[in-house]
Amino acid sequence: MAKIGVFICHCGENIGAKVDCTRLAAAMGEHPGVAVSVEYKYFCSDPGQESVKRAIRDNNLTGVVVAACSPRMHEATFRKACAEAGLNPYLCEIANIREQCSWVHTDKDMATEKAMDITRSMVEKVKRNNKLQPIEVPVTRRALVIGGGIAGIQAALDIANAGQDVVLVEREPSLGGHMAQLSETFPTLDCSQCIMTPRMVEAAQHPKIRLLTYAEIESVDGYIGNFKVRVRMKSRYVDLDRCTGCGDCITKCPAKKISSEFDCSLGKRTAIYTPFAQSVPNIPVIDKANCIYFKNGKCKICAKTCQCDAINFEMQDEFIELEIGAIVVATGFQVQNNTMYGEYGYGKYPDVINGLQFERLASASGPTAGKILRPSDGKEPENVVFIQCAGSRDPSKGVRYCSKICCMYTAKHAMLYAHKVHDGKTNIFYMDIRAAGKGYDEFSRRAIEDDEASYVRGRVSKVWQENGKLMVRGVDTLLGRPVEIAADMVVLATAMISQPDAKEFAKTIGIGYDEYGFYNEAHLKLRPVESSTAGVFLAGACQSPKDIPDSVAQASATASKVLALFSKEKLEREPVVATNNEATCAGCWGCVLACPYNAIEQKDILDRSGKIIKRVASVNPGLCQGCGTCVTFCRSNSLDLAGFTEKQIFAEVMGL
Amino acid sequence: MSEPFEPKIIAFVCTYCTYAGADLAGTSRLKYAPNVRIIRLPCTGRISPMFILKALQKGADGVLISGCHPGDCHFTHGNYHARRRWMVFRALLEFIGIPPERVKYSWISAAEGVKFAEFINKVTEDIRKLGPFEQYTQLIEETEAAASL
Amino acid sequence: MSIEEQYRTRAKELLAGGAVKMVIGYGKGTTGERRRPIFITSPDEVERLVLDEACITNLSGYLVSEGLLSDEKRVAVFLRPEGVRAVNILAAESQLDSDQLVIFGFDVVGNEIKALKGIHVEEFADVIESLKESAPGVAKELLLEKIESMSPQERFSYWQGEFAKCIKCYACRQACPMCYCRRCIVDSNQPQWVNTSSHSLGNFEWNIVRAFHLSGRCVECGNCDRACPVNIPLRLINHRMAEEVLGTFDHFAGTSKTQEPVLASFKKDDSETFIL
Repeated sequence: MAKIGVFICHCGENIGAKVDCTRLAAAMGEHPGVAVSVEYKYFCSDPGQESVKRAIRDNNLTGVVVAACSPRMHEATFRKACAEAGLNPYLCEIANIREQCSWVHTDKDMATEKAMDITRSMVEKVKRNNKLQPIEVPVTRRALVIGGGIAGIQAALDIANAGQDVVLVEREPSLGGHMAQLSETFPTLDCSQCIMTPRMVEAAQHPKIRLLTYAEIESVDGYIGNFKVRVRMKSRYVDLDRCTGCGDCITKCPAKKISSEFDCSLGKRTAIYTPFAQSVPNIPVIDKANCIYFKNGKCKICAKTCQCDAINFEMQDEFIELEIGAIVVATGFQVQNNTMYGEYGYGKYPDVINGLQFERLASASGPTAGKILRPSDGKEPENVVFIQCAGSRDPSKGVRYCSKICCMYTAKHAMLYAHKVHDGKTNIFYMDIRAAGKGYDEFSRRAIEDDEASYVRGRVSKVWQENGKLMVRGVDTLLGRPVEIAADMVVLATAMISQPDAKEFAKTIGIGYDEYGFYNEAHLKLRPVESSTAGVFLAGACQSPKDIPDSVAQASATASKVLALFSKEKLEREPVVATNNEATCAGCWGCVLACPYNAIEQKDILDRSGKIIKRVASVNPGLCQGCGTCVTFCRSNSLDLAGFTEKQIFAEVMGL
Repeated sequence: MSEPFEPKIIAFVCTYCTYAGADLAGTSRLKYAPNVRIIRLPCTGRISPMFILKALQKGADGVLISGCHPGDCHFTHGNYHARRRWMVFRALLEFIGIPPERVKYSWISAAEGVKFAEFINKVTEDIRKLGPFEQYTQLIEETEAAASL
Repeated sequence: MSIEEQYRTRAKELLAGGAVKMVIGYGKGTTGERRRPIFITSPDEVERLVLDEACITNLSGYLVSEGLLSDEKRVAVFLRPEGVRAVNILAAESQLDSDQLVIFGFDVVGNEIKALKGIHVEEFADVIESLKESAPGVAKELLLEKIESMSPQERFSYWQGEFAKCIKCYACRQACPMCYCRRCIVDSNQPQWVNTSSHSLGNFEWNIVRAFHLSGRCVECGNCDRACPVNIPLRLINHRMAEEVLGTFDHFAGTSKTQEPVLASFKKDDSETFIL
């Protein structure tokens, strides 16, 4: 027999002035199953809570309804009080008679009537509440960081430095990501390699970090604290343990004219190669598609050169299975292919390049050893035009957003150019200068004031070649007149876009993405580094365009999230999860499809001989987030949701 | 006969958006018609068509369903699933002769306290004009005469 | 050779060779115009098979009889296009493995029996696709048009009158290939969502729930309508819902065995004109 306690809070005048609490308490006292019905000025106060506890103990209450403010305010408070009095906290419910009654109605009679309905309905619900226990999920204390750019490295180092195991997976042959490609970095103009490479080495040598380069994530199963991840180790054809990184093979490789990805096609590399001189690990890979041996069956010069017998042409892809507790996704971005701007001549004129290519030209370790030289003839350009927003903020090119870093790197490019070519001229076409950030506006002002970058506010309509010059036609919207500039080089501030396989990869790990393929955070403002999947966190430009400081900050934030998760041996979760009645389940699997969290699996029920008797749905409580979409789908009413069961809701409606 | 008809309205809302929006209407001290009774669910995905039928059985003259705007669902897709169900169920109710004015759907976010208050006022007014749902009441009365509900 | 004879011959071969363990087809009924399902397991019995314009029952529901297909042996079945669609849905909802079926496809055009080529469900894709294409153009039954032109109050009264006849025998459920649940929601009494007594409210609720559970799944084979002993025009509700999911979600039930159930899937840009 139910013994429900109803506690009606006046909340001072807040409820008391509009709801006749005495009448309400009397009416509830008459309701079947209610053992105690009392009113009090402030139940959330200490004496108020004490009186609730006392009532629970004195009357052996089987359920509690607190008619007060919104459950979003004090549900936790009263559930805790119940637990302290020995009552399962999930046997306590809140009837919201303040936010949704006394505060919004003026007629006292009608408000009181409504408060009665609300409270009665809750009493009927509580009668059917079940004792629930928080769900405990064990945590594997090992983090997986996907992506070895600056964000991934930072996250991995922060987690590892706190003493937790990390597996860092990078699909390229070396750590480094885009940051390794940069020359100097804004707003301090420190050399990117100089600040990046020590981090790469630290990550590679860290005793708590297991580094897997030239590796890709094949599949991710499981749930927070308990992911199972399969990693494909792509065959390098070079034995990681034997190779000493002497580089003799690279020097001897006869296939030398392969366009270098790292140098953005401005330089060449061999078929056996490391992406750049400071690669970590400093172990080459053989590019199968361009290797003479793989193409013709003859060559093997690298193998003959190698004194450590590290070359192995028979190497196969290998798979590694990992048990992981938390995942940091730091898969980065790509630069948009500017050939879509036919009018700017990218891809047609060799001296129209994108921002990342300019970085390689300006980089001391780049194909021109840091000299700004035209790709077409190797001459130093005397006049360079930069075009900002070449792709960003342009709905017609499918990128409505601002890529965020281009204003700054274009200012930086103008400065670097001015420092290297002292009498060079710079024109920058821009839409707006967005220089919000510490030292950013000062930086872009410096480009204008000290390094004489000439900013032209307006769009460029066309670039064409004439008499060995690149003719740039645009408009100066501030002066309201057309502009035509004869340039030697044009640099496009290309949009940052999501990785080509970003959406597919999101499906592999089970996270959401936006229309551009950037990964969705759980809440843009309040949970910016969490994905909507528990235990999967987002760092760097895979979430949205970001500069280095933001990526690093976000990476450290993910590390703190991971460490918070790893600070406990077990996770406790609200027990609001779906359950399935296997006896009545028809096994139609509609729920499996409908579940936003892939939390429902197919389960075979076997007899003793191992024969399948029937197939049913099975909810994984570790993955279930408790939305109840499956319950509503279930035609046979086999699924139900703890805390919001069919019985409870039925009773709530019938109690009205 | 001078007393105006006070309709009974039952609302099923998700806790993350519309329930929070209703709370906001309260904290903003907006005033709206006292005819609505709210039942809180975790997500619109949890709102079963059966709830609507039971609300009608309980004598509701109108039923409201509301949750997060598309794209804003706390559970990412719950409201998309709900929207399909509503679309189908709505067509079914209409074909059976339950006037669409009596079952209303809306998206109300946690920030839309004003929209919540206006929505309740509008629906209450509309249903007041429509009058009691006598046809359904008749079903209930006939049944109650013969069997216990 | 008539189609009936061809199919008898094929049935005989299949049974004799052990390629199938059973043929589900039509046999003579109690009156001249009625056919009843028969379940043949011996090649000697194939003469009992009848195939004529009276063979209208959708036999696909028998395929999900408990245990029939669990031994992984094959079963042959006579199916009209609606039947094939029903099999596709049953396969999509994991109720059977369509590879275990040998289909004797046929259709009734006017008074003519037409053989449909194919053995596996996949081979009927074109037939189903053409049904989908022609569905919106099919002339509506007069009664349906009449109901649709009524005011909500008139429609309510119309259905109230129809449902008043319901005796809650659940023949509609029994006859429907899609009603394969081990426990129907109406049999669940914790809580009792649907009133079981055959009075106004319960009848109303039952018929609404039945139609809703079939939305996007009903192939309009008419089994329920024919099974109803009190002649409630259930086909009209089913048709209206099929029309709705086709028009709104471009969903034609049972086009393939991998079709996603319309109510377990969604598109981000689904229509929502009615949502305020």
